[in-house]
Amino acid sequence: MKRYDLIVVGAGPSGLSAAIEAARCGMSVAVFDENAKPGGQLFKQIHKFFGSKEHQAKIRGFKIGETLLAEADEAGVEVFLNATVAGIYLDKEVLVQIGAAMEHFKADTIIIATGAAENMITFDGWTLPGVIGAGAAQTMMNLYGIKPGQRVLMLGSGNVGLVVSFQLMQAGCEVVALVDAAPKVGGYGVHAAKIARCGVPFYLSHTITKAEGSDCVSGVEISQVDEDFIPIPGTQKHFDVDTICLAVGLSPMSQLLKMAGCNMVDDPRRGGQVPQVDENGETSIPGLFAAGDVSGIEEASSAMIKGRMSGLAAAAYLGFLNEQDKDNRLADLEVALDSLHQGMFAPGSKGKTFAKTDEGIAVSQSLLKKGYLDDADIERFIHRPDQTIKNSGIHPVIECTQNIPCNPCQDACTRGCIKVGKTITALPRIDAANSCTGCGMCIASCSGQAIFLVDEDYAPGYASITLPYEFLPRPQKGELGTALSRSGQPLGHAEIIDVRNAKAFDQTTLVTIKVPVEQAMTARFYQPKTNAAGQSGKKEIRQ
Amino acid sequence: MKSINDRSQDIGPFVSQTDDAIIICRCEEITKGEIRQAIHDGMFTVNEIRRYLRAGMGLCQGQTCGKLVKNLIARELNVIPDQLDPATSRSPMRPVEMKVLGNEEVSHV
Ligand SMILES: Cc1cc2nc3c(=O)[nH]c(=O)nc-3n(C[C@H](O)[C@H](O)[C@H](O)COP(=O)(O)OP(=O)(O)OC[C@H]3O[C@@H](n4cnc5c(N)ncnc54)[C@H](O)[C@@H]3O)c2cc1C
Ligand code: SF4
Ligand code: SF4
Repeated sequence: MKRYDLIVVGAGPSGLSAAIEAARCGMSVAVFDENAKPGGQLFKQIHKFFGSKEHQAKIRGFKIGETLLAEADEAGVEVFLNATVAGIYLDKEVLVQIGAAMEHFKADTIIIATGAAENMITFDGWTLPGVIGAGAAQTMMNLYGIKPGQRVLMLGSGNVGLVVSFQLMQAGCEVVALVDAAPKVGGYGVHAAKIARCGVPFYLSHTITKAEGSDCVSGVEISQVDEDFIPIPGTQKHFDVDTICLAVGLSPMSQLLKMAGCNMVDDPRRGGQVPQVDENGETSIPGLFAAGDVSGIEEASSAMIKGRMSGLAAAAYLGFLNEQDKDNRLADLEVALDSLHQGMFAPGSKGKTFAKTDEGIAVSQSLLKKGYLDDADIERFIHRPDQTIKNSGIHPVIECTQNIPCNPCQDACTRGCIKVGKTITALPRIDAANSCTGCGMCIASCSGQAIFLVDEDYAPGYASITLPYEFLPRPQKGELGTALSRSGQPLGHAEIIDVRNAKAFDQTTLVTIKVPVEQAMTARFYQPKTNAAGQSGKKEIRQ
Repeated sequence: MKSINDRSQDIGPFVSQTDDAIIICRCEEITKGEIRQAIHDGMFTVNEIRRYLRAGMGLCQGQTCGKLVKNLIARELNVIPDQLDPATSRSPMRPVEMKVLGNEEVSHV
């Protein structure tokens, strides 16, 4: 039986981070993952991440995964792939299926970082082929290059539902509606705005009442729900779809921890059955740790920090790290974790409603109900007392109106036009005292695609708007298309006057359109004549 | 607080519901009605439902239906789901073919 100082189960962001820290302290580390590719969920995340520089903000998820792998390799971590941990026994022994054999391994410390599994909900027809989890859709698209369907309805407006809806459109699917039983959008407003401006309608306080079809999904019926989430008769709406995506939350895959005999708790705020852990992830069994989603559903940025903490704690437990060094390094990680745990979407804010932002501005109700900012919101946020904004010459317009832990926009602007400040959840502010060169770095760095460059003086009677564009094919200069509003409504003709791709933009294309000057503050997206974004505009709704 | 293990408690008669035919456990094809009936037959825990109906014993090992079954029991017993223990976790936690399970590496170093 092979022995290690540390065995890590799961090669996702938390498991790899834990392994890296422990190996750097001199431990022999083995990581087991059941997949053919390491990285866990990270390898499906093709979007740019939030956070700040230390959390690898504005970097696309799969790139963060590649960096972690290289670091693990360099630190001497042994990563076993296609290796499913089937059981965990007394004295830190694990049973692993590797290929066609069952092998035993033993270690002095174990970190369980098995992540989470998707929740399902039931409705008439939910077992029909074509009803899939949003994570499954993401796996099909981003790992295997398979389009899950042509016309998709998404249930769930949390970040997963929003992000996957956008990715479905990027893959060329049409998203006919985004539905959620809750009365307001659960995820970041900037993610919602990204799909609303492509024309996806939001149905809040609605749920799926039926998946239609005999052999596979051919349609879906949704109904409005009352305050107790009971469908209201007579409110049914029908959509022709071939795919129904469910993004209704994740549950920790904590079976190994339970099997090991850790004290478990049922904590709905952490996603279900989770181990009792201390601040470094140590369970009730000394030397056995849990890190990442398995110990409470959060996101990859905090999973990485928590993984690092467990790795260091495991090293200290075996004496590979002295107490003083451990305390110092953990204190730094605490600070990084704390900065992520702030703002309107912090774990401690779950279920709370915010009437105002930290800056005292009334939050946008339209964003929460329909996914986009209305004219009054724009007025309130753009012309707020703490920022100065120009209305001539090229200048940035930032439509980021919630307190989320994110600040790459501030780092992007070397001219000092954009300020977030020390508290990374503060709203970005524009300082018009510094002049904008129109370089576009802020647009490409914004994970929420919420920054636009506007020039009201482009030509007499015309304004130019530069916007982030992440669809293929890339529009060409001189092309004529349609300008869309924040809600995806056509506003009129738009001419592409510039298309910029730079390495520093990391695959985000900056498209500049020319529109009548009255549309300077309303046009926010571009639709080519032959529709690349997959949205055909008009939705078929039979009542 | 009511004890879940009090088998003498009266949870009322089984009343059929319009969506009783919905499948809850996909792997073993167990319906909502069957699970609700089992609760009225006296199966008050997730483990008992597993043994009685095989719900959660199929290919995915309850990964999909575990929470759903728990919520159904909670609703019939009129308790909050957190009060119910989840099913016991046992090795192998993923389905393993018998020929693989039998092919155990037994070198003791
Ligand atoms: C659609 C979607 C979008 C997301 N977007 C973002 C985002 O934009 N930003 C962000 O920060 N976070 C995002 N997240 C969340 C983030 O991906 C997760 O929080 C993060 O991946 C959790 O990391 P982890 O290491 O705990 O688990 P995972 O990444 O899930 O990794 C766990 C690994 O363990 C393996 N494993 C499990 N059981 C076993 C076993 N018995 N034997 C062997 N291996 C096993 C799994 O196969 C997996 O590879 C998103 C999640 C989803 C689903
Ligand atoms: S375009 Fe360049 S100069 Fe202007 S605000 Fe953005 S980053 Fe700053
Ligand atoms: S505007 Fe700044 S804070 Fe807001 S999402 Fe974009 S990068 Fe993040």
